[in-house]
Amino acid sequence: MANVKLVNIIKSYDGKTDVVKNVSFEIRDKEFVVLVGPSGCGKSTILRMIAGLEDITSGDLYIDNKRVNDLLPKDRDIAMVFQNYALYPHMTVYQNMAFGLKIKRIPRKEIDRRVRRAADILEISYLLDRKPKAMSGGQRQRVAIGRAIVRDPKVFLFDEPLSNLDAKLRVQMRVEMQKLHKKLQVTIIYVTHDQTEAMTLGNRIVVLKDGKIMQIGAPMELYNTPDNMFVAGFIGSPPINFIHGEIRKKEALVFTDTGMEINLGLLHNEAINNYVNKKIVLGIRPENIHHIPHDKSSRFAKISITISAVEQMGNEMLVYANLDKLQMIARLPSDSTLEADQLTELYFDTPKILLFDPENGNVIK
Amino acid sequence: MKIIKKTLFYLILVAAALSFIYPFIWMMMASLAPEQEIGKLVIFPSEFTFDNYVSMFSKIPIGRALFNSLFVSTINTGLTLVFASMVGYALSRMRFRGRNTIFFIIIFTMSLPFQITLIPNYITMVKLHWVDTYLSLTVPFMITAFAILMFRQAFKGLPQALIDAARIDGCGELRIVFTILWPNIKPTIITVGILAFMASWNEVIWPLIVIREEQLMTLPQLVTLFVVGGRAESQLGVKLASAVFLATPVIIAYLFFQKHFIQSMASTGLKE
Repeated sequence: MANVKLVNIIKSYDGKTDVVKNVSFEIRDKEFVVLVGPSGCGKSTILRMIAGLEDITSGDLYIDNKRVNDLLPKDRDIAMVFQNYALYPHMTVYQNMAFGLKIKRIPRKEIDRRVRRAADILEISYLLDRKPKAMSGGQRQRVAIGRAIVRDPKVFLFDEPLSNLDAKLRVQMRVEMQKLHKKLQVTIIYVTHDQTEAMTLGNRIVVLKDGKIMQIGAPMELYNTPDNMFVAGFIGSPPINFIHGEIRKKEALVFTDTGMEINLGLLHNEAINNYVNKKIVLGIRPENIHHIPHDKSSRFAKISITISAVEQMGNEMLVYANLDKLQMIARLPSDSTLEADQLTELYFDTPKILLFDPENGNVIK
Repeated sequence: MKIIKKTLFYLILVAAALSFIYPFIWMMMASLAPEQEIGKLVIFPSEFTFDNYVSMFSKIPIGRALFNSLFVSTINTGLTLVFASMVGYALSRMRFRGRNTIFFIIIFTMSLPFQITLIPNYITMVKLHWVDTYLSLTVPFMITAFAILMFRQAFKGLPQALIDAARIDGCGELRIVFTILWPNIKPTIITVGILAFMASWNEVIWPLIVIREEQLMTLPQLVTLFVVGGRAESQLGVKLASAVFLATPVIIAYLFFQKHFIQSMASTGLKE
């Protein structure tokens, strides 16, 4: 197994606009790294450059400390699983899995051993004689993973492999991906636009936007301490609430439209002193807003608000309220007694509040 | 009302089908009829005879011409499939400067009548000393714009991931085209194959220009010379026998592949 290092990688198709802008990061040996971001952020392009399916416009790419910019995909010792499986329709599962090894002129006995082992791991031995069209999406995806496993590569690349599966199967395959990583102990680079997949699968997550890295970190690090509004808004479902306001006097924030004031003294954020009389964005995750505060301490900042809608999920209740023309979501216990159009009080858990500079979107800390 | 409509519909269809098939059936039957009965235009003659065929074989080296035609058409079909799919692949899947311009130039050549290129091509053949050789019958027909167009469209209809997967598996471009993509565009291969074979098989003017030696003549060329050149001695039956002999292989091929043929022709307009 191996590490993968990207150094100042740039990709441009037309020589004018860069779709990947000076990206550098390292994926450690046996690490499961997820590249996540909205469509068009360059995540698939980065993966395809690592695979060798796209040329690198400038920068250096290292796999196992060897520069591979000019190597063909087959010589990079990688395997890739595609969103639409990309199984060869005219070949059986066995032939699909064996094809790459056959081209490498690996002895037939060894091919057979590897194919059967991979089939065993993925529990698809009974499918070996079938053709792709006679299988379900989930089965095809397993075969595609099997085709990657038999190559015994240094790095596995996954390009949105679960996007074509239905919701239930996706959850199941997510768990299996984790197990597979544990079992195979391999380096995996996984591309997805689904932040849930990123949070549940990755050892580390690379968040991308417009071809730039927004933040790299462990899932909970991104969740709790995002570097900027984009990461804060992208990670987490339902998304974080952003509320615009102004620091009128030290340690107190006044919301722009309603003029409501909350005390930020408990944030212990020295940096806000530089923002007195300046505009600011407050970010608070839905689960950090409460209907009934845990205790009477000043940790909870009270706001009066009207509920616009309530979604009862069974295990929790999503409460929508309007504040400063913005819709705010709170995640409350399912037994909360709140109804639409009700005027109520909600409590922000002050130490969990994040503050952002509205000009550059960066977190204030 | 519905039944009348349907009946009328079928009557028109049957009439149209008959008008297409009748001349061919008549030609086959007449080639087996005695010479004096051919002029009566009947379908079933009073007796069947192979005299016309026997006479045809004795008058012209039709066996040799059959071999020439089969040889030339097979080579042309094979080469067209190979080269047109390579070009079609490049035009649909490779990124290079001028790709679309090249494609439009190729398409433009489809609108040029054969007659325009006839003389320049003939001069080229003379300069290359290819007149009266198989090369003059094969090399100019190794690839056609239509075949390129068909392959380009067929390859465009396949997912890019299939090619990416093959590349990661270690395939070069040629292996991608012939091992991975070809098995997935069978209807196109069959259609292009049949059309290329028929075009080559039915070509008359070009062989008449570049081949003078009887041993190298193709079947349509020989039959044409035979029928209009006076060697059939005004015997209609012998002329018809040679025409049947000429048409049969292509018809057999068409019947054999017609399902794929229609499927591919129907889909060419849709895959983009």
